Amino acid sequence: MDRRKFILTGISLGAAASLGSGLAIRGWQRSLTPDSSNRDLVLSALLPALLYGALPQDATLAAAELDRTKTAISDFLPFLPLRQQQELNQLFNLLANRVTQLGLTGHVSTLADLSIHQRLQLLSRWRDSYLALLQQAYHGLRELLYGAYYGQSEHWQTLGYTAPRFR
Amino acid sequence: MTINHLDASQFTQDQLFDTDIVIIGSGAGGGIAAEQLAQAGFKILLLEEGAWYTRDDFVMQERWAYPHLYQEGAARKTRDQAIGILQGRTVGGSTTVNWTTSIRTPKATLDFWNSKFGVNFSGKDDLSDYFAAAEQRLNIHQWPVPPNANNAKLQQGCEKLGWQYTLINRNVNGCANLGYCGMGCPINAKQSMLVSTIPAAMALGATLISRISVRQLHWQSDSITGLEAVPVDQYFQPRHDLRIRIKAKHYIVAAGAIGSPALLLRSKVPDPSGRLGKHTYLHPTVISGALFDDAINGHSGAPQSIYSDQFVWPADNNKAGYKLEVPPLHPVLMATKLTGTGAQHAALMQQFNHLQVTIALLRDGFHPHSQGGTVQLDDAQQPVLDYPITDYLWQGMREALLSMAGLQFAAGARQVLPVHHDAQLYNNWPEAKAAILQLPMQALKQTVVSAHVMGGCNMSASAANGVVDQNGRHHQLQNLSVFDGSILPTSLGANPQLTIYALVWRNCQQLISSLRNQVNTLA
Repeated sequence: MDRRKFILTGISLGAAASLGSGLAIRGWQRSLTPDSSNRDLVLSALLPALLYGALPQDATLAAAELDRTKTAISDFLPFLPLRQQQELNQLFNLLANRVTQLGLTGHVSTLADLSIHQRLQLLSRWRDSYLALLQQAYHGLRELLYGAYYGQSEHWQTLGYTAPRFR
Repeated sequence: MTINHLDASQFTQDQLFDTDIVIIGSGAGGGIAAEQLAQAGFKILLLEEGAWYTRDDFVMQERWAYPHLYQEGAARKTRDQAIGILQGRTVGGSTTVNWTTSIRTPKATLDFWNSKFGVNFSGKDDLSDYFAAAEQRLNIHQWPVPPNANNAKLQQGCEKLGWQYTLINRNVNGCANLGYCGMGCPINAKQSMLVSTIPAAMALGATLISRISVRQLHWQSDSITGLEAVPVDQYFQPRHDLRIRIKAKHYIVAAGAIGSPALLLRSKVPDPSGRLGKHTYLHPTVISGALFDDAINGHSGAPQSIYSDQFVWPADNNKAGYKLEVPPLHPVLMATKLTGTGAQHAALMQQFNHLQVTIALLRDGFHPHSQGGTVQLDDAQQPVLDYPITDYLWQGMREALLSMAGLQFAAGARQVLPVHHDAQLYNNWPEAKAAILQLPMQALKQTVVSAHVMGGCNMSASAANGVVDQNGRHHQLQNLSVFDGSILPTSLGANPQLTIYALVWRNCQQLISSLRNQVNTLA
């Protein structure tokens, strides 16, 4: 059994063992701990892909929107149940360090090495994966990231939407 | 604030309270109970896990409202993460953030409860007077303003197809038709518990304790002897640095259909029927988006003013019925539910103001293959709902997607998008129909949401078949009542707030006379 297959088996067994309780993977207790640099790394790679077409063309403006979104995500996370926070921490830690184990093939080792197109392909591979674990990662990240981006009134120009103000 | 309000997160040492009646939860059940029981002269403590936010806090922004007013930041999910659940967690509970739709319990639902659970709401136990009382108390009337375009498309589709539809009754007074009910009413027009029964109860001497999480009820033989609670932190997570103990003559659990079973499970109360935390219903809901040439602006105007019951009670009992409504459209709600990524998602969002959205709420709990979900406790003793979706429900969801697409094209939609991760925008009804018939109906592929949690402490005539009796009194523990949506033996096939108001109003009258009889007997 090659290493990649071994780890994928580990993930699916872990998911089965936890009876589908999100991203609980046996033997990964250490990865439950929040690591803001891992989170930042993963968000920095995935946000420009998910938000492709939504972010402004201007690089400075786009960077400001990305920063605002990342801040919104870290502000929001503590409101989630601890169980879900741990699952997300685990996902960020895995994606930051061991992305090859989560559905990537070839010799690429970090998310940042991928083109935007490849990052989107990776996300759709998770969406269509036979592993509930990867599907949950896709949906969990998607909702978290889109919710954080579109929650900011500064990002509503392309929607033609403004919240009413009367006081 | 006033002396009648305590914020538990400000306590610096252990606390002990003694009262006549403690009510755990301040939503539709706890709010009605607080006023009724305070009026009857009882000393009331009303406990709420959320904070006491009021209209000045309601800034009509999702980024503030969801983390501060909703359970789990409005990101609550079932165990397999296949169903998103919107549930309030603030003073007033879900009534502070609901969309104001007020519907009496359908007769067919009451009949089903009578036949399967022996609870009888006819004759002397008829609920009509309680519906009328709640309608009067909360100013529930038919909404006289024309529907916004989002609702009007539902109406027009129904008219084109000859389907039934109804103008919605709403619990509002002086409503400015803003459309932000889901983020807390900024002008106190919505007659939620927050602005009606709770302040009335406090004026009568009831004390509200906010930011408190009740962890356990202590019991011995047939009685609750006390409860133990903790404050929550700024993120509404239970703290464990100090304890709050409360003793009361009577205990009312009204923490919602996930919170109430969770508290009783943590307390390991007797459960001879085996139904505690079981048979939790959600009105599992599927979504259909449609693009129109004309502007819809679904963020503006009363969120719900039209519904259709065309498909709620199908003649074929083996089909799942569903109610058609629309949701309000706001950026976060839409961005998280619309499918796709990258340019595809961005393009959909750019048509935000031309998007009409219809939802179908499945009536669960009326069929052997629709027995609901189970409330479980995680490692932190917090609830998580396991809700497996059966083939019976999947089939109903597929039919609902078909009905909604047909309706939206009939109303003039340019394109329709069933909210399913394998679906696309379809240009006409035959194309949509062919595609929907092929969609794999599977968890996480088909988007499913819920804003109505019911059951888990169901009422029943017999102790063998439920957790509480017809009056909401616990079958085994004499000084414990459950007064919220968790007592419903099935889902309703209608938005639940008015059912909860009426049932709890009635149950309070029963409780008041029973407590007075006890006092008289003792005297």
